[in-house]
Amino acid sequence: MKKNRPHIASPQRSRGLQESLLPRWPTILVASYTLAAFSWTMPASMFPPKPAIDRVAGGPLLMLGLWQSWDMFSPDPRTADICVEIQCTNRDGTSDRRMLTDMVAMGYYERWQKDRWRKYFNDHLRLDDERSLWQPFAEYAVRRLREEGDDPATIELIRWWRNCDPAFSPELRADVRQTPWQSYVFHRWGVPREWGR
Amino acid sequence: MMTPWAGMVRATAVFDQWVRDPVDPRPLAWFRSWLGLLSLVNLWLLWPDMPMWLGNDGVLPPATHRELMGDTRISIFMLTGYSEAAIGLIRCLGLAGGFGLWLGIFPRCAAFCAWLAAVSYSWRNMDILHSGDNLIRIGAFFLIFARTDGVLSLPHVVRRWFFSQALSGSQPRAGLVPAWPQRILQLQLCILYLAAGIWKATGPTWRNGTAVGLVLQLGEFQRFPIPDFFLTPVMSQLMTYGTLAFELGFPVLIWIPKLRLPVLLAGLAFHAGLDWVMNVQMFQWLITAYYLLWLQPRRDASSDAS
Repeated sequence: MKKNRPHIASPQRSRGLQESLLPRWPTILVASYTLAAFSWTMPASMFPPKPAIDRVAGGPLLMLGLWQSWDMFSPDPRTADICVEIQCTNRDGTSDRRMLTDMVAMGYYERWQKDRWRKYFNDHLRLDDERSLWQPFAEYAVRRLREEGDDPATIELIRWWRNCDPAFSPELRADVRQTPWQSYVFHRWGVPREWGR
Repeated sequence: MMTPWAGMVRATAVFDQWVRDPVDPRPLAWFRSWLGLLSLVNLWLLWPDMPMWLGNDGVLPPATHRELMGDTRISIFMLTGYSEAAIGLIRCLGLAGGFGLWLGIFPRCAAFCAWLAAVSYSWRNMDILHSGDNLIRIGAFFLIFARTDGVLSLPHVVRRWFFSQALSGSQPRAGLVPAWPQRILQLQLCILYLAAGIWKATGPTWRNGTAVGLVLQLGEFQRFPIPDFFLTPVMSQLMTYGTLAFELGFPVLIWIPKLRLPVLLAGLAFHAGLDWVMNVQMFQWLITAYYLLWLQPRRDASSDAS
C-alpha cells in the first residue's frame, strides 16, 4: 500500500520564493503602508476590515509618528461660534477677564500664530469629555497671573457660544453678526492662599 | 480577453515596476527643500508657546499627560523624561532639521532631526496639533530613506563655486535614485484626499450643500475678507460640492498623465482659496510640498547617458 507522505516544501522552491520576494521589498513596503494608512484614516463604517488591519498596523504607525487623520469639518462642521474666557478674581476684589480665543478680535498675524490656541481651547479644553485638562490649566493660569502681579482668589473658565444660521448671507459672518452670545462657567477653582508658594 | 486573475497579475506587475524603477531625484529634492523651509516657519510659530504647551509648568503637567497617553511612542522624551531640557532639544532638532532639509545639508540626517522634533512635540501635547503636523512627521520620516544628496544642495553649490576648476570635467551628475520613498509619499497624498472626501461624504451638511456656508460663518476660522458674492446659498452649494468633487476626484485623476498638470493646478487654486478665507496655520502650504512629488522633470541627454 502506498503511504501518504506529509507535504514538505522543497528547499529549492522556498529559496525560489525568497529570491523572487526579497528584491520586491520596496513594493511590499509601499503596498503595506498604503493599506495601513488608508485603514487608519477611514471611518469604521466605511471600511469593514479596519479593526483587523488597525490591530496589526496601529502599533508601528503610532510608534513611528505615522498616525494621521484627515477629518477636519467631518462628518459635519461645527454649527456654533466658540470662545473660551478665563476670569480671575483677586483677593483685593478686583477682577481680570481674558478672552483666550476670540480670533476675530485678533490681528491677522496674531490669529495665524495662535491657531494652536484655537485647537487647544476651542476643540479640547471646553469639552466636558476633557475635564481632566481644566484644573491643570487653571493652575497654569494662576502661575502666570501671579508673575504679572495678580493674586488670584478664584479662577473661572467660561465657554461662550452662539449658533450659526442655516441660512447663509453676508450679514452672518462672525465679524458683523449681531446675535447674542451665551455663556457658561464650566470650571471654578477657589485658589488656596498658600497654593504654589 | 484578459481574465480577472490575469488583470490582477498585470496590475501587480505594473505597480511593482512603478515602485522599483529608479527615478530622477529632483522632485524628491524639491519636496525636501520646500518641506524643510515650511517646517522652519511651523517651528517659528510654535516657538514662543512651547513652554506653555510642552513644559512641566505648562497647561499639561506630566501627571495629567501620563494619564492621557497610554502608549509608548518614539520621542526625545524617552531620553530626557519630563524635563524642561526637552524643549531646548526639540528647538535645536527642529532648527537643524529644517535648515538641513531646506539647504540639502546632510539631508537624511536632517530629515531624522526634523522627524524627531515633530514626533516629540506631537507626543507631548496632542491637543495642539493641526493636519500640517501630520504632513511634516510623515514627510520627514520617509525623507530619512530618500537619496537627494547633490540636488538643491548648498554644500554642492559651495563645492562647485570654490573648486570649479578642480571639478571641471568630472562634475558628479545626480543619477537615478530608488523610487519607493517618493512613491509612498505620492500615495500618501492620495490617501489624504480620499479619506477627507469619504469622511465628508458621510455628513448630512456636505450632502445637502450647506457645509462650506457654515464653515465660512465660524469666527475662529475667519481670515481675510471675501466678496459678498461668495456668501450666498448658491455659492455655498457650489463650494461644498466642488470640495467633495475635488477631494474624491484627485486620487483618481492624478494617475492620468494628461490630466496631471490641470489637477495639480486646480489643487493649488483650491488650497490658495482656502488659505485666503480660512485661518488654518500651515496645512495649505505644507500640502503643496507633496504636489512637487508629482512633477516630472525633463531630463537632458547627458543625464540620461549617466
